[in-house]
Amino acid sequence: MARGFGSNYRIVLLVATVLAAFGGIGARLVHLHVIDRERLVTFVDKVRRQIVVEPARRGDILDGRGKFLATSRSLISLGVDPQVLRPEDEPKWPELARLIGLPLRELETIFRTKTRPVAPVATSTTGGLVIDLDGDEPSENTPTERKIQWAKLADSVEESVYEQIVRLDIKGVYAPPRVYTRAYPNNELAAHVVGYVNKEGVAVQGVERWADFYLRGQDGWRESEKDGKRQELAQFRAREVAPSRGYDVMLSIDSVIQHRVEAELSRIMTTFSPTKATIIVSDARTGFILGLANAPTFNLNAYGTVSGDDMNRMRNVAVADVLEPGSTFKIVAASGALQEGLVQPSDTFDCTLERIEYKGRSRDLPREDHHFHHPLTVTEIISRSSNKGAAQLGMLLQEKRLYEYAKAFGFGEYTGFSSIYPESPGIFAHYSKWSGSDITRIPMGHTVAATPLQIHFAMGVIASGGELLRPQIVKEIRNEQGEALYRFGKVVRRRVISQATAKTVAGMLSRVTVAGEGTAAEAAIPGYEIAAKTGTSQKIVDGKYSSQHHIASFVGFFPASRPEVVISVIVDDGRSPAGGTGYGGVVAAPGFKRIAEHLIQYLDIKPTGPVPGRPLFALEGVRP
Amino acid sequence: MNKSDNHAFVNQLLVYTLVMICLSGSIGLGTVWMRHQISVTANSTRQMESRIAQAERSLAETTIQVAAEESLEVLTRRNSEWKLGLLPPVESQVGRLAGSPERRLAALRNREAFTDRTGAETAPVVFASGSRVRR
Repeated sequence: MARGFGSNYRIVLLVATVLAAFGGIGARLVHLHVIDRERLVTFVDKVRRQIVVEPARRGDILDGRGKFLATSRSLISLGVDPQVLRPEDEPKWPELARLIGLPLRELETIFRTKTRPVAPVATSTTGGLVIDLDGDEPSENTPTERKIQWAKLADSVEESVYEQIVRLDIKGVYAPPRVYTRAYPNNELAAHVVGYVNKEGVAVQGVERWADFYLRGQDGWRESEKDGKRQELAQFRAREVAPSRGYDVMLSIDSVIQHRVEAELSRIMTTFSPTKATIIVSDARTGFILGLANAPTFNLNAYGTVSGDDMNRMRNVAVADVLEPGSTFKIVAASGALQEGLVQPSDTFDCTLERIEYKGRSRDLPREDHHFHHPLTVTEIISRSSNKGAAQLGMLLQEKRLYEYAKAFGFGEYTGFSSIYPESPGIFAHYSKWSGSDITRIPMGHTVAATPLQIHFAMGVIASGGELLRPQIVKEIRNEQGEALYRFGKVVRRRVISQATAKTVAGMLSRVTVAGEGTAAEAAIPGYEIAAKTGTSQKIVDGKYSSQHHIASFVGFFPASRPEVVISVIVDDGRSPAGGTGYGGVVAAPGFKRIAEHLIQYLDIKPTGPVPGRPLFALEGVRP
Repeated sequence: MNKSDNHAFVNQLLVYTLVMICLSGSIGLGTVWMRHQISVTANSTRQMESRIAQAERSLAETTIQVAAEESLEVLTRRNSEWKLGLLPPVESQVGRLAGSPERRLAALRNREAFTDRTGAETAPVVFASGSRVRR
């Protein structure tokens, strides 16, 4: 074999050096990977490993036609690191100030403030021990100023604005990861129904709260590592769970109807200056609510601006507040007496009596708002709203049956809406606790308290053909693709009266809007039978019924012969502009009529009789 | 063992060592290159994800803007601002058809298809106002 390039001595030295170097590297590796492994792995884990949470997008709340009532958007909290700002970027500051709507002087102050004073250290009162809140050891060398590395510029920058800010390319201006916030494109529309999610992401009220389980989705997360600049090292992503978006919730509320209802409430508030008012519109056949609004109300996008002493405007008075139903309650006594076969619609009662004997005792009959010169039929008792007549119907039924019918109509119990908003069951005492005069006062809606929703669905019993329906507001739960995962349907709570009785009562109620016969001819719509009942109850002020303060209501449905919608208009302490009492027929009925006229066109409700003046002109569609 | 055998063995060992170093180096460099490529791919995937998320965010914002512009409050305001004078119809303006509109239109279409008259010969549409009929 040929001789090598070096002497034996040199070769051995070289080999030994190489082997020693490898040996050294090996030894170091053994030290790092075996002996010191635990400490180093813990350190690396602490410094480099990170679990990034990816927030799930909250589902949308849609109206009955798929329009957004609530959706989610990402808003950016913009900040600056004043330490890395470049002088050459200074000419761009005015444009940045304009984009984020911050006065330039304020922006300059933020940019030029490089340090902030260190928070004073807390000292114990006993031994004078100094506790550094930041965890650093206290010493004389502790700096009094600290470098600012993030100062907030704007709280809620929109994506499009942020894109323009990024294009400005100002070094040091940046945004932390985005979070989803809730947006309500219609502002005040259906505020009490939709509810809102607060800044902490907690669903506070309404459907937002009830359907939080469906809406919130599930946050995702991923385990990865970050470099020295805290940038994610994507190649070290270990495990990843994608976020799953929340489901959409479709309501039965129709934005167009809801808007109309709120416009009407606004008109009532302007015209009659009541303390509060409520309007409810529902489908007579299913119990689904098409519109529900209260006044005063609030803007869902600015819920935080409602002051502490004005919080009542956030209250869903339609389900949370109680009031005396007044004459609208007369449908209970009339329906019960008809159902029991105690009376016929044409039976007459003397409604001029001051007192009447009942169970061996003489009882005072309530006062009438109108004087009747002749005995009234049962139909007239309803259409003319006779208090004395209603009292006599109640006495025919007697306490037990009157109580049972009122309960069956839903008074004194939850409607089933409490899952959406905490509701009141109303006040309706057991008949064993009634006083001697209650049998004459309860049939006219006194000494009973009910929520507007209870009154509305009590009228719904007549409209639905004798069944008490559960108020429903959520129609569907949908996935991201718009496929229905669950559909809510009509829920019948109980049958209250027979279909025939309901039809008879509906016929009686339709006389209320007939001129010369009923108390609310103002609400008549030519071509349509409006079945409704006015109600005017005195408010209790300082423990006594006040003659100055009233709750006016107009509750009904149409068309009477094939009901499609139920509408309730309830106005608390409305003042007639003419200065008279704010009767239901004056304050509430016109609102009912305007909403009904709108619904006729919007829901294509066909007339039940001839419409005067039509056709104005008609395209015959034929060519002679 | 003689001296030349020793040399040969050492030379061979040296050569093998160098080959091993080169091989290990190549494997090491290959691994580094591969890791770099993984990193580049992962970063580009991350950027793509970020762009998709950005697009989704922009889409969501646009959707909200569209929804806000479509809200009835805004439409009503536009109606008055632009003096469009749009009003909902009232019942007296509506002509309701008794039968099925599809059948009615089909009958009309059939009548037109099987008649010899041309469009120019057709009479104007009939307007009926109350009991009087005007042409």
